[in-house]
Amino acid sequence: MTLGGWILLLCSWGVILSLAAMCFIRVFSKKDMK
Amino acid sequence: MKKRDSWGSRLGIIMAVAGSAIGLGNFLRFPAKAASNGGGAFMIPYFISLFLLGIPLMWIEWTLGRYGGGFEHGTAPGIFHSVWQKNRFIKYFGIIGIFGPLIIFIYYSYIEAWTLGYSFFALIGKYTHITDQASMQSFLSGFQGLEKNQYFNGLGTAYLFFILTFIVNIWVIYYGIKGGIERLCKWAMPLLFIFGLILLARVFTLGTPDITKPTWNIANGFGFLWNPDFSALKSAKVWLEAAGQIFFTLSVGIGVILTYASYLSKGDDVVLSGLTAASTNEFTEVILGGSIIIPAAFVFFGPQDIQSIAQSGVFNLGFVTMPLVLNKLPLAQILGFFWFFLLFLAGITSSVSLAQPAVAFLEDEFDISRKKAVAIFAAVSFVLCHAAVLFLKNGVVDELDFWGGTFFLVLFATIETILFGWVFGIDKAWDEIHKGADMRVPKIYKFIIKYITPLFLMAILGMWFWQQWLPIIFMKNVPALNKPFILGTRIGLMLVFLILAILVKIAWRKKKMLAEKMR
Repeated sequence: MTLGGWILLLCSWGVILSLAAMCFIRVFSKKDMK
Repeated sequence: MKKRDSWGSRLGIIMAVAGSAIGLGNFLRFPAKAASNGGGAFMIPYFISLFLLGIPLMWIEWTLGRYGGGFEHGTAPGIFHSVWQKNRFIKYFGIIGIFGPLIIFIYYSYIEAWTLGYSFFALIGKYTHITDQASMQSFLSGFQGLEKNQYFNGLGTAYLFFILTFIVNIWVIYYGIKGGIERLCKWAMPLLFIFGLILLARVFTLGTPDITKPTWNIANGFGFLWNPDFSALKSAKVWLEAAGQIFFTLSVGIGVILTYASYLSKGDDVVLSGLTAASTNEFTEVILGGSIIIPAAFVFFGPQDIQSIAQSGVFNLGFVTMPLVLNKLPLAQILGFFWFFLLFLAGITSSVSLAQPAVAFLEDEFDISRKKAVAIFAAVSFVLCHAAVLFLKNGVVDELDFWGGTFFLVLFATIETILFGWVFGIDKAWDEIHKGADMRVPKIYKFIIKYITPLFLMAILGMWFWQQWLPIIFMKNVPALNKPFILGTRIGLMLVFLILAILVKIAWRKKKMLAEKMR
């Protein structure tokens, strides 16, 4: 795998994992449905 | 008027929407598209489409659904009418939001049945001795009833699994939103992630299985998918493929999210929940889906064959290539079961969502009980599904997929985006999005939703008209033998659409008469 491949893989995974983590942390820290 | 069903918890609706979005395409379509459209470079238009098209559409549908639910409408005809009450025709455009899912359900439930069948075959070792491409293809063709061979004597086995899958779907829908769909998704989704992570771990630890071919290793397998070819970005086709993938993967433009969100209360958040469902889908697609089939196939088939494998179509990837790969590993039966049952879970959480708009339409607009609505849906869809079961070889499934699962999706999304940003009005829409919101949408999205998303959609529609309209209408690429079947399918689709239009007319006339009586 080339350096470009690694960079794109890590950036893509990074964006998705941080978005998902941010969402789930917020979901679990807020109260459930009214 | 009876009380409408509702979700039991926020995690329940997030898992249900994510389950609807996560389907076979996450594991099969995405890696194949990425590999053949620039590799890692494909992720640039992919992410641009996600943030400009996918996520805005997700928020639009969640918001419109919750808004319509406040008027006791769970499907697009009623929801569109609530948004634009002065227009008496807009409800007919909303028919697409029932028609599309119903048409997709017709063939999707049959394909889902194959995954259940293969899960069973994996466990009993029915195909695990097969080691070559031609025999595995023959196994699939025999199962599908396309040929009689040493593996299958006709369509009987596939039909049995179809009946079983259909009954499970109807059973889930029968128990309603909270008792059926939410309960299913709350255990099916974690199980899907567990199976996905086990397969991911197995693929990561493949190393170099054949030491005589040192370049056939897992790092190069990932390289095949991720090494960027930036020259691909000059092609409009690659950008359209990326936009199309985002569109289909998030289940937007179908009408399903509208219906699911209609069971929310007015004060329930849609911003964070919608984003969470979208990010769950992306995790499954890019991280799980992108790391299983293509890297594993590279390791066993090498850099030459992988090119043709990646372009061999979704069914070949899932039902021929992947079982062949798994058959080369220890514990092939268990791993095969994990793979196909993972696809089954991805399928069933999508198919129940496809059934729900039609059921909700009957319940909400005709005020009939869920039991009765489910019985009507079951009877009608069971008959319609036979078009996919019996005429698969005649191209009927591809035809249904084009209209129900491709063309009408983009058209429907374009209509609802214009309705939301322009008819409802972006300021009112902005307030509506933020009712009960647990996070603010970045202000730039006010501009994106009003201008960029509809333009993006119109560009996709325009390109399709430009490139594909005439050949498709005149069946230019359809073999002569299949033309009567394709024509029959189109007439059938028009009839279904017409019947839905008549039902909408009857429902609204009844409502009008009732309102006049009340006065």
